[in-house]
Amino acid sequence: MIMVGHRPRPSPPHEAMQQKKAEDTDQKRPKFFINDHVDILIEILKHLDGPSLCVASCVCRLWCTIARNDSLWEHLCFRHVSSPAPSTVRPVVVALGGYKRLYMVCVRPVLSRLGHSDRVRRRVWTREVVQLSLSLFCVDYYERRLGDASASSLMFLCKPVNV
Amino acid sequence: MWEEERDAGTGVDDELLAVLGYKVKSSEMEDVADKLEQLGMFMDAAPNIFCDTVHYNPSDLYGWVQSMLSELNNPPNTILDPMLQGQQIDDPLLAPAEFSSVPTLGFLNSHKQRQIDTTYSSRIYNDDSEYDLRAIPGSAAYPQTQDRESNRKRLKTSSRSNSAPPLLPSSPQPAGDAAAGTVSEPSRPIVLADSQETGVRLVHTLMACAEAVQQENLKLADALVKQVGLLAASQAGAMKKVATYFAQALGSRIYRIYPQDCLDASYSDMLQMHFYETCPYLKFAHFTANQAILEAFATASRVHVIDFGLKQGMQWPALIQALALKPGGPPAFRLTGIGPPQPDNKDALQQVGCKLAELAERIGVEFQFRGFVTNSLADIDPSMLDILPPEEEAVAVNSVFELHPLLARPGAIDKVLSSIKAMKPKIVAVVEQEANHNGPVFMDRFTEALHYYSSLFDSLEGSALVPPTQDLMFSEEYLGRQICNVVASEGTDRVERHETLTQWRTRMGSSGFEPVHLGSNAFKQASMLLALFAGGDGYRVDENNGCLMLGWHTRPLIATSAWQLIATDSS
Repeated sequence: MIMVGHRPRPSPPHEAMQQKKAEDTDQKRPKFFINDHVDILIEILKHLDGPSLCVASCVCRLWCTIARNDSLWEHLCFRHVSSPAPSTVRPVVVALGGYKRLYMVCVRPVLSRLGHSDRVRRRVWTREVVQLSLSLFCVDYYERRLGDASASSLMFLCKPVNV
Repeated sequence: MWEEERDAGTGVDDELLAVLGYKVKSSEMEDVADKLEQLGMFMDAAPNIFCDTVHYNPSDLYGWVQSMLSELNNPPNTILDPMLQGQQIDDPLLAPAEFSSVPTLGFLNSHKQRQIDTTYSSRIYNDDSEYDLRAIPGSAAYPQTQDRESNRKRLKTSSRSNSAPPLLPSSPQPAGDAAAGTVSEPSRPIVLADSQETGVRLVHTLMACAEAVQQENLKLADALVKQVGLLAASQAGAMKKVATYFAQALGSRIYRIYPQDCLDASYSDMLQMHFYETCPYLKFAHFTANQAILEAFATASRVHVIDFGLKQGMQWPALIQALALKPGGPPAFRLTGIGPPQPDNKDALQQVGCKLAELAERIGVEFQFRGFVTNSLADIDPSMLDILPPEEEAVAVNSVFELHPLLARPGAIDKVLSSIKAMKPKIVAVVEQEANHNGPVFMDRFTEALHYYSSLFDSLEGSALVPPTQDLMFSEEYLGRQICNVVASEGTDRVERHETLTQWRTRMGSSGFEPVHLGSNAFKQASMLLALFAGGDGYRVDENNGCLMLGWHTRPLIATSAWQLIATDSS
């Protein structure tokens, strides 16, 4: 996880910033404060993995808002894919529940399972993984709509692997 | 050695035994040995039942063994088949009480034909047949009674998921010790020592029973099927379940209580849903069939899929999503779903159609649905389906496990295949079980089915959770119903007439279809899908002349194939 110069505080960052600015002007030494530069923050957060992104969203309200942004999760989903996803993918994914859900429900378990499996090698992690994840995602959406309270067509992804 | 003793005169031996402190006659020894054998079988099944009993005078071997065995007349229900409870199979068959009679194992190792111990069993069985069970290879391997090797339980070596610890000591124990509970306390309520020998014996008894059924020797078959039940009780895991289902099916056949053919369509749909969720077979079927259809639809702007068995429509969301992402935009998608009549006149097909329409609308695919209710595919006429000519619309026909039931009625399959041809499809996707359960000889069908369903249950076991989930139990019932149909039904009732890929190839070829090879995309997707399943290393995808087969270890279980009309010169 990337550490930046930021003091996690329960108080809103605005107050912290003001406090800090007060200290700064006292010492006449400008300090870099990441929350001032949201675009850089987003770029940095794009490099985090799933669990780290979730942890980051607990840091403060600004980070929470940014981490909820679906584009970060979109980036995470397609990070391993060599070619960029076609533009038609986004509306479909959004309609079925969004990239964060896609990652949590499909991409992450699929990638971790395939990491365990000896037979499927890393270089296959391209379009097929994305296609498979999207298909499973769609099946999951449909099953939930069927009215089955315990929609479990993806339960097999949650079961522990006999390693 | 027994022969020698008998010939030498029993008086001397009685004295020797008395000197050693045993109050038993040597003429009774064979009997005692048999009973100790039986006791041994049951002790590892339920060691707890002996804990509360007080035994007097263990040196009186004969009396002691008899008292132990008489307790076995009322064993706790947990030893015996828990699978029978909570199952909704309609055939009454063998009620659990039938299994509680004392085992007829003594039968197997007798040197002469003799009656089963009538003191303990609730009914008297007169074996006047000439059938000598020692002829069963498994029994020939059955050791002599004085050979204590048979008491040594070996750890199972097959690929079962649970391994049971050996419970009985290998050396013969004096009677007194055995009563004192040297058997270790199990951590689970039922401890089953999986003896390889019992497994072999179980299979042989099943086969012998089927043979007896084929020869219409119903008395023998009845006795054997009860044996199977007892032997199955001492097994664990997949073997136990398979044996139980087969025993029930055989019982059905013997007592001529044929189960009614697929009663409630919604109940069997529900069972299939659970099967869908537990193991990859149906998902494999859907994904590979979809891939074939997608590749055929590559250039079409309007597409029409005719699904021979819509059920819950689980195959189609993935196809709709793939169509939505097609480069160049999605085609207009029309789905015709065919299904059996539902109880209460519920329009299940329409409900499924609505849900699919909602999904299609969300992701931007133009969608139309039409449902057809019919009891048999042979009743569908292509003109009912509003098929547009091939220039306007690409047609695909999809059949997942829907063609083999047509073999039950003569002429049905040919009618359906010619209907398919009349639809002028671009592609026909067929998924069927890879097994020959449609041979003319009952014994062959039985043997095939035994191997096939053993592999299937093995694979379920490989991916199962402990404790077993409801999903798993329903999946097992789904398969159990198929077993019952294959073994117990006949004529038009026997719909599970599975045939192998080779047989379907011949049939399709002679009807005017030629194979379409499934591409590497399908293979890769299927491999990846299987890698996701726990126990995924047991599943294998194999390519067979353009068709994909999914199997468990070395045994292929289902096969997906794709077909198109043979191009004629006139078209």
